[in-house]
Amino acid sequence: MNILFIHQAFPAQFGGLGLELKRRHGWNVAYIYEEMTTCPAPTPEILNEIQHKCLDLTPDQRERGPMPWPQIQGRFLELCVAVRRALDDLGDFRPDLIVAHGGRGAPSILVEEVFKAPLLIYCEYYFAKAHKDISYRIDLPKTEPAEFFPRCINGPTILSLVHSAGGYSATHWQKSTFPQRFQPKIEVHFDGVDAELYKPNPNAPRVFGDKTIPPGVRVVTFVSRGLESIRGFDIFLKVARNISLRRQDVVFLVVGAEHVFYGWDQLRSGAMSFRDYCLQHVQVDLSRFIFMNHVPPEFLANVFAISDLHLYLTAPFVLSWSLLNAMSTETTILASDVDPVREVIEPGVDGLLEPLFDVDRLTERALEVLEDPAAFRPLGIAARRKILEKYSLNVAVPDLRDYFERMANQPRL
Amino acid sequence: MAQDPYHIVCIEPRFPGRLGAIADWLVRRRGYRCWFYCNAFDPQAFWPPSAGAGLDVIKFEVGGVASEPQVYWTRNLERGLCYAYGCWEVLDGRRPRPVDVVLGRSAGLGSTLFAPITYPAAGVVNFMDGYLKPREHDITSELDKNTSVNYYAWRAAAGTMDLLDMENGAIPWTATRYQRDSYPAEYRDDFEVFFDGVDVRQFRRARPERPRMIARRMIPQDAKVVTFVARSLDRVRGFDRFLRLARRLEVEFPEAIFVVAGAPIVLRGLDLQFYATNYLERLIKESPLSDPSRYWFLGYVDRATIAEMLGVSDLHVAPGRTFFPPRSIAEAMSSECLILASDDEPTRELITNDVTGLLADSADPDALFERARAALRDLAAYRPLAGGAGEIARVRYDQDVVLPKLARIFDRLVEGDYARR
Repeated sequence: MNILFIHQAFPAQFGGLGLELKRRHGWNVAYIYEEMTTCPAPTPEILNEIQHKCLDLTPDQRERGPMPWPQIQGRFLELCVAVRRALDDLGDFRPDLIVAHGGRGAPSILVEEVFKAPLLIYCEYYFAKAHKDISYRIDLPKTEPAEFFPRCINGPTILSLVHSAGGYSATHWQKSTFPQRFQPKIEVHFDGVDAELYKPNPNAPRVFGDKTIPPGVRVVTFVSRGLESIRGFDIFLKVARNISLRRQDVVFLVVGAEHVFYGWDQLRSGAMSFRDYCLQHVQVDLSRFIFMNHVPPEFLANVFAISDLHLYLTAPFVLSWSLLNAMSTETTILASDVDPVREVIEPGVDGLLEPLFDVDRLTERALEVLEDPAAFRPLGIAARRKILEKYSLNVAVPDLRDYFERMANQPRL
Repeated sequence: MAQDPYHIVCIEPRFPGRLGAIADWLVRRRGYRCWFYCNAFDPQAFWPPSAGAGLDVIKFEVGGVASEPQVYWTRNLERGLCYAYGCWEVLDGRRPRPVDVVLGRSAGLGSTLFAPITYPAAGVVNFMDGYLKPREHDITSELDKNTSVNYYAWRAAAGTMDLLDMENGAIPWTATRYQRDSYPAEYRDDFEVFFDGVDVRQFRRARPERPRMIARRMIPQDAKVVTFVARSLDRVRGFDRFLRLARRLEVEFPEAIFVVAGAPIVLRGLDLQFYATNYLERLIKESPLSDPSRYWFLGYVDRATIAEMLGVSDLHVAPGRTFFPPRSIAEAMSSECLILASDDEPTRELITNDVTGLLADSADPDALFERARAALRDLAAYRPLAGGAGEIARVRYDQDVVLPKLARIFDRLVEGDYARR
């Protein structure tokens, strides 16, 4: 079977999946994207095995930077036309199925002009007007776009869905964020954790640049693509400060970029990064922190492997891969008690959950774990078992393959 | 049946637009109070009677890309958002109180999208025109094969504002099933479908004993009046087809005159080739009229003039491409005109062939001509069709019949028991 992926980034969700479909099932895979990422960077196998085509954009179109919210759909439409042009460059490749990210960065509304193959949309998320995602942190200073943005940001997502034969979400919670009218069109298929990479490793190195963490020192980890409020970076700092005041034997490993990917933190922090803004408001002993930018997957696996406690303090939003990677690594997890997290973590069974805003309770729970990490080991073991049974590549890839084949072969109206 | 008066906010880019007549009816017949927010308005001669007497017109400004004379196609929604924001700024600044319901029409521009930020408890109803498909209907089949892909992308995304309105809670309302069915399947069940109403007191047959006049101009006693009405004289509404037909009828019927209402400049962006050009001038330049005195081009006129014109029409021709039906067909029906229209799905929803009007393949000049010729040769024989049209109009399109349905929706919204379909 021939499958074409369209995504803003390469390799993103689809790169690894495409490689697995090629390796395990012999599919031919093509990929159109706007930007090759470094987090994660494509492996040589992905680069070799997948026919990939970067969009031909002008420097002006490529210019990154904050996009004013009313212009997001315009940008999406420009990219639609660029994708349409890129389809002509695929040579003899004729997809049986096209799978595109359904957000604003994977413009696919013109593919039906070229190929008769069904278009499937990866339904990652539908922004809410309130009580979720970037609308959730009402504890932070209000910003001007907050009320307007959610009323129009879903335009590209809606258009993509309207033009598609169907869609899938990685989790039931993600699916539930979409309007009721689209629910029958959306299935749930997880995209797969690499449980071979993310697994327990008692010999993982404890060296980070010029710093070595001595044996016996407790390690608390926080991982997020961007250090921002939607992932609770500011709350993490408060919990970390409290922990460090009570225990001297703790180091905090923080993985993530000083960049805001979602929401209005930059409007709150002004010229400085949100990370620095938070550090200005929450006094911590920086010598106890190791901040790392984006790191390669193998490095991240080491981070989880030496972690005594992983803090995952997200607002209700798309689950981070890092949470599932940490589960796969048998890391003990203390997470915010919000619906998307509850879908994968059963409190007291494979992780710990506490209210996101209750810094005191989060602190007390964290201290319990750090006092006796071994006592909480069964949680990590159960977490990995769940990953292996429900979320690993070995489970997810055959499931997605079956779904893709079914959709490619279903009669078109 | 509840007939409570409410405070409503109407939002439409231009006043009176399409909502003006509706607001006027609600004010005059139901005692509503209405604040009508618009960015532009027609001359006061076009305003409905209740303007200033229960219906207040408030202008809002637009900024950003919406203030530019022309907008690149990708920025269509951005322009709409500028309208919605400009309206919200004035609305939020003035905060008229109380507001029970918001009634809006985006007309391809702004909308009610941000009104709920100021009035979260007020129900919102949006009158929607229809949803464009990239390669179906109107003039798509006649486009040059080299037409830019940008055009199709624009069409594919042109309805985004309507979809956003619906996703943000607006109750969609449209005039015909055809318009509803133009929307993606996922949205169709949400729609209220009923015509927005014709003032049948205004649109009625002129008394035969009185001299016939249009815009203060006397019609020769034995003249056969052939009419055409559109907002602008464009291909979508079939003005080219009408003119081609008129040139043949002109020879066949020396007593015929042709009365045309509509702006000569093409206003609809659908027609890439002629958008913003003087299409009337172009057609006449290509092929001059043999007797211009028999053509009365009225330009863009108020509804009273349209009513006057339809009231004396012997044959009203609506040979448009397949598109959202023009309200002038319902007005012509109400005026008991004999109507000759395109035999397509949207028109068949209004007119039953040989019962309430004549339908023909408007793309076929001979077919159109044959039907027009037969009718003009024996108008009396076709009077029953016109009478039937009038009867249907009174039952289906009379404001007093259809707008109470809107008022009942408002009742249910205010009472909190509006159940979405």
